[in-house]
Amino acid sequence: MANLPALLDLLLYRRDRLMDDLAAGRKLARLWTGLVLVLIPCAGLYGIVLGGWHGGMLTLFVAFKLPLVLLVTSALTMLFNFFVGSLLGLSLRFAQVAVLTFFALAVASLLLASLAPVAWFFTLSLPEPSPDARGTHNLLYLLHTFFVGACGLAGSAILWRGLVRIRGTAPNLKKAYFAWVLTFALVGGEVAWALRPFVGSVYRPIEFLRADAFQGNVYEFIFTDIIPYLWRNH
Amino acid sequence: MSEEESRPLPSAPPMAIPEPAGAFQAFDELLKTPQQVALRARQAGSNRPALLLLAGSLVAFAVYGAVAGLFTGGTQILVSALKAPLIVLLSLALCLPSLYIFSALAGAPLSRRPFLHIVAGFAGMLALLLIGLMPISWLFSVSSRSLYFVVWLHALAWIVAAAFGARFLARSLEIREAGKAVFLWLLLFALVSFQVSTWLRPVLWRAPGRPLFESGKMFFLEHLGKIAEMPVPKLEPAAKPAPATKPALPPVPKK
Repeated sequence: MANLPALLDLLLYRRDRLMDDLAAGRKLARLWTGLVLVLIPCAGLYGIVLGGWHGGMLTLFVAFKLPLVLLVTSALTMLFNFFVGSLLGLSLRFAQVAVLTFFALAVASLLLASLAPVAWFFTLSLPEPSPDARGTHNLLYLLHTFFVGACGLAGSAILWRGLVRIRGTAPNLKKAYFAWVLTFALVGGEVAWALRPFVGSVYRPIEFLRADAFQGNVYEFIFTDIIPYLWRNH
Repeated sequence: MSEEESRPLPSAPPMAIPEPAGAFQAFDELLKTPQQVALRARQAGSNRPALLLLAGSLVAFAVYGAVAGLFTGGTQILVSALKAPLIVLLSLALCLPSLYIFSALAGAPLSRRPFLHIVAGFAGMLALLLIGLMPISWLFSVSSRSLYFVVWLHALAWIVAAAFGARFLARSLEIREAGKAVFLWLLLFALVSFQVSTWLRPVLWRAPGRPLFESGKMFFLEHLGKIAEMPVPKLEPAAKPAPATKPALPPVPKK
């Protein structure tokens, strides 16, 4: 299971076998390693396109940062997910929760990689970055947010199918699933905010991390800098 | 035999479906019994039917493009005939990886051969519908003065054709979730094709002396906005003979 084609085959066509191994607690370390080996190049490929509008160093930075967002978010949420699963009666081991989480992320990354040609073409055919290209920046931002969000939702839908297959009779399955997805979305939003820029600002220089990366979080920004101004003229 | 080729495919037909003799027969089959195209895709055999459909589709797109080019007339007929197949080919090439992954994740794993045949069927369905709509496009191309109207007309024709193509895809994939996956993919395909058309502009209208490809990058909605701002030329007085080509519209302003 060490090569990428075999891993992709497992993920695309033999998910039931993967789930059976997961339910039985077999080969969990190998499964987890395999999923990470799918996640990193697939998310990295999309990262190349995501940072490709500015090009240069930002392409490399984002190729590194996009997989990092997924890995860091997983690391931060895994323990909570394990506790929630246990408390709600799913009876899953920590390694099983880890594999399930990375299963959803690997599927989302694979979908993102399949959309990379489309995102690349839009990046190629839109005006290049300049202080006048704020509209293009916002458009690309919206496009990438939509693609990443949609792939995340698709990944979580696959996670749900997997959960139903291995713990279909658990009474609190839906609650556990929603708790996992909600936690991942909330934490993932903040991790992505801290690791910005991805598309790259038209006003600021390219940098790996903003100097204010950890000064304020994304939800403070939404509630103090966006929502109060929605119904004001300035 | 590779692992991919040996993977069992759902709903394999009990008897071999005969191959069409030529492109016309292939399109006739697609029109009257599209399920046969999907069933043949799951059999062992040559790729000739798929290649016939693809080649015939390219010709049909070129013919449709030529008719669309009648809006400007002159050399633009040839230019549009060349650009129309290019738009479809490029859009398909950009969207095929996502179709493959979407369908696999929705539960319809396809090896290379069925995928090729189903994609060829999709392209063939687009071509059939566009050929069916061609007389209407011709009427509006030769009689309209507003580029904005003609652009919307072709966009509508394209959406209708793509919807029928998606119906073929969803039925060919033979799974319950295929409809959702195909619908999402169709949205993506439509968006990409609009952007490809903008990238390869001008397709319908080219002022005399303008290059075959406009420079300057643009989002398709912005392009549509610029087309909307172009004035509709006034009608010539009835006594004057009709000009060979359309009266000169101002060129689309570059960003």
